[in-house]
Amino acid sequence: MTTRSILLVEDNPDDEMLTLRALKKNNILNAIAVAHDGAEALELIFSKASSGEPLPGLILLDLKLPKIDGLEVLRRIRADERTRIIPVVVLTGSKLEEDILAGYRGGANAYVRKPVNFAEFAEAVKTLGLFWLILNEPVPEFTPQPD
Amino acid sequence: MGVDVVKLEDGPGFPESELLSAIVESSDDAIVGGTTGGQITTWNPAAEKIYGYRAEQIVGQPLTVLSPDERIGEIEETLAKIGRGERVVHRETVCRRQDGETFHVSMTASPIHDGDGLLIGVSAIARDITEQHQARAAAELLRKADDLEQANRTLESFTYSVAHDLRAPLRALGGFTSALMEDCADDLGEAGRGYAKRILAATGQMSVLIDDLLVLSRIARAEMHPERVDLGAEVARIAADLQRGAPQRRVHFAIEQPVPARADRLLIRTALQHLVENAWKFTSGQDDALIEFGTVPAGDAHVCCYVRDDGVGFDPDYAGKLFQPFQRLHPASDFPGTGIGLASVKQIVERHHGRAWAEGEVGEGATFYFTLEAGEIA
Repeated sequence: MTTRSILLVEDNPDDEMLTLRALKKNNILNAIAVAHDGAEALELIFSKASSGEPLPGLILLDLKLPKIDGLEVLRRIRADERTRIIPVVVLTGSKLEEDILAGYRGGANAYVRKPVNFAEFAEAVKTLGLFWLILNEPVPEFTPQPD
Repeated sequence: MGVDVVKLEDGPGFPESELLSAIVESSDDAIVGGTTGGQITTWNPAAEKIYGYRAEQIVGQPLTVLSPDERIGEIEETLAKIGRGERVVHRETVCRRQDGETFHVSMTASPIHDGDGLLIGVSAIARDITEQHQARAAAELLRKADDLEQANRTLESFTYSVAHDLRAPLRALGGFTSALMEDCADDLGEAGRGYAKRILAATGQMSVLIDDLLVLSRIARAEMHPERVDLGAEVARIAADLQRGAPQRRVHFAIEQPVPARADRLLIRTALQHLVENAWKFTSGQDDALIEFGTVPAGDAHVCCYVRDDGVGFDPDYAGKLFQPFQRLHPASDFPGTGIGLASVKQIVERHHGRAWAEGEVGEGATFYFTLEAGEIA
């Protein structure tokens, strides 16, 4: 099992801190990189893709982002052969269907409502079959599944 | 052209006069001659057609006969200008026909001078511009409707973005307060933990209010897909769900079926849901309850429905407040809710060009009415 990093794309420092805290609190040990706008996220992803470095194993993507918005980031990730398969969880600010639907049409794998409540995050990860990815210390309700 | 009309009085025999006379006779515009005092002296066939008076009826009458009472001042004003040798060109005004009907005209009035330059009368040319006027009014109305639509959309997108943006600081408030309680519980002490709990409760409440705002804004912006809906069947379904959810309650539903209407199914279902759930909620304190759904004669509307309950009712003095967002007539401790349901109902009904109102008395139950329009749905 290779250690895959998680990329969090979030411009709001409070949301960033709360998300990182929630992951840490739940013993997620993966390296977590943070991009603060859409352009930074794309640069980070595609520079890795170009240099052959390992790509993030999971992207947590906010929708309302400076410079390039989340849906466009998602579209470009899905449009590129190299990055197409990266699981993307969209972080939504509200339960508005349009956000959710737009997210799915753009190829999001799941969505989680902010603030990232760990139970919801765990559910999304479960839905995505990504337990293999998450390097948390096993807790009873969160046993890693065999790949 | 008006200036030259005077030459008619030069008498026949001049070819120019005959030509001018023919022009006046065949003109589509009313051409009227008058004295400086405003007495009508000549009246062409177009004037007869436009105003309804025949020449022999009107010649000798004052020009003011052609004006509605409130516009007589304009004629006097025009005559005063003519008296000073000035013209009035393409003045838009309103005239009165013989039958009393008024219509819009564009009027040009000129002084008539004799060979020595002495003012001897006035000529007026009036063109019926009722059609142009109506077209212009219609275009203006369309433009205003467009403006209104635009303003509404702006307001809605403003509401949406405000509600959306309000969430971010609220998340921080709630999130970090939780973090405080989890990470620093011991340092906070009992009082501190109590305060933190109150902050959390308040942020939770605000979050619900923001959700409600978003719901309202979504109703206002939702695309309408009108179709035939049986409102009675919708109510029956809602009633069945409520009874399944609380089988211990003895509530009798009397539902008129079918009640066909043309409406957006999702929206009207939401409205009915709010109304029936309200009736359900405000009868929750009684052993037996009766909730009715039916129709009454609709008057001009397509259909007029009501949802009636025999629950706690409300003070009719505040009936108007019921439909305003976040207005509640009962304390949340007695009946939960944020006060968004009826505001949604009103908005949904208005999107169907209908009206919603309520009747009730304290302790006597409540009846909520709404109408829907058959015509085009916005």
